[in-house]
Amino acid sequence: MNVADAVASRRSVRAFLDTPVDPAALRRVMEAAQMAPSGCNYQPWEATILTGAPLRELQAKMLAAPFQQPEEYAITPVDVPAEYPRRLKEIGAARAKAEGIDEADKAARADVVRQNFVSFGAPVVLMCYMPRVMGPPQWSDVGMWLQTVMLLLRGEGLDSCPQEFMAMHGKLIKEFIGVSDESHILFCGMAIGHANPEAICNTYQRTRIPVDSAVRYLGFD
Amino acid sequence: MDVSQAVASRRSVRQFRPDPVDPEVLRRVLTKAQRSPSGSNIQPWHAVVLTGEPLARLQLAVAAEFPKGRAGHSIPFHMNPVGIDGIYRERLFGVGESLYAALEISRDDKAGRLRQYARNYKGFGAPVMMLVHTKAYMGQAQWADIGMWLQTVMLLLREEGLDSCPQLCWADYTKQVRACVAMPDDHVFYCGISIGYREAEAAVNTFDVPRAVLDDVVRFEGF
Repeated sequence: MNVADAVASRRSVRAFLDTPVDPAALRRVMEAAQMAPSGCNYQPWEATILTGAPLRELQAKMLAAPFQQPEEYAITPVDVPAEYPRRLKEIGAARAKAEGIDEADKAARADVVRQNFVSFGAPVVLMCYMPRVMGPPQWSDVGMWLQTVMLLLRGEGLDSCPQEFMAMHGKLIKEFIGVSDESHILFCGMAIGHANPEAICNTYQRTRIPVDSAVRYLGFD
Repeated sequence: MDVSQAVASRRSVRQFRPDPVDPEVLRRVLTKAQRSPSGSNIQPWHAVVLTGEPLARLQLAVAAEFPKGRAGHSIPFHMNPVGIDGIYRERLFGVGESLYAALEISRDDKAGRLRQYARNYKGFGAPVMMLVHTKAYMGQAQWADIGMWLQTVMLLLREEGLDSCPQLCWADYTKQVRACVAMPDDHVFYCGISIGYREAEAAVNTFDVPRAVLDDVVRFEGF
């Protein structure tokens, strides 16, 4: 699969088939993703990838536990002006409309949130963390690596959904996988598997701002 | 170009050919990159793409400050984390030594190393530079989103036959960068990224770039 198709076809998949993931394909992706760039070549990303019994055990623990307070980091920035929540609302509304869910239906929305615990039925979940000392540029590096993984997964016919939701259970997750809470911060989970092509939540039209709102050009005639 | 080829062939190119970059290609890449993911669909990335006269002006402004050393730097940026483990220094030295070995610049040749470092501020000869910035209140998670977008851009550039080099070092001259492109006051500047065509034979573009062994950074459970 070429890069443009991988970028365009990657979406946050929120309904997976129970088709297992080939461990060799996964390993290939993770090996290749090591070539992702990072400032000073720090490669600050770390991850544990779970499947089968350990994954089910972790998911049961998360479902039974209250969310930690506060979450690992502010999932949405403090003092964010309305322009940004509007972008979330837009895409949320696009999905609700496609699924025929009334946006005011709290029970239906809560069910959507609960699907996060089980990573939308994905057979594999990657938990991504890094040393707490890392600053904003290193968080960006971790992002470069995560997108590299997501695009390489597309190349293997696999789908994903990055889940900041896991930051609400960061301590529990780290304890389960044996990562120090003192030294490391959990950034996100990533559901990995095969998308259910029939699910409406995997097919609605996603919204983005126009590129000219984000990028300016100087010196081009 | 296959995704895996794009990932494997992307490297921080440090010698570009002077050939111009088609603006249409850049627009195509940046338009496609808007599909990059972000938490809560926040899309926190901002960029200014420079070429020609504005780019030359920025390079001149920085060149005027460069001889002052650290005294010429703007407000120190959080570029190097405090209290970082030795393993990360090893990774930095690993790539640094590979680079200088390829260029046959010895450890004692301080002037030679400084000359090579100064090439950063000419964008290694690239005809285009993109300056990346974001709103100051964006948190760690949004910085990760910006990284996802940047790598999307770099991989899409590969598919167009183009190369890039992301450069944190421009943050040392934030003041000059801000002034040259009229960056809004409530934004922070993150990095520059040089864009152009690689000089394929150059030693600086062909040495083996070391990476950590997969098993040192990723664990598999339940497989």
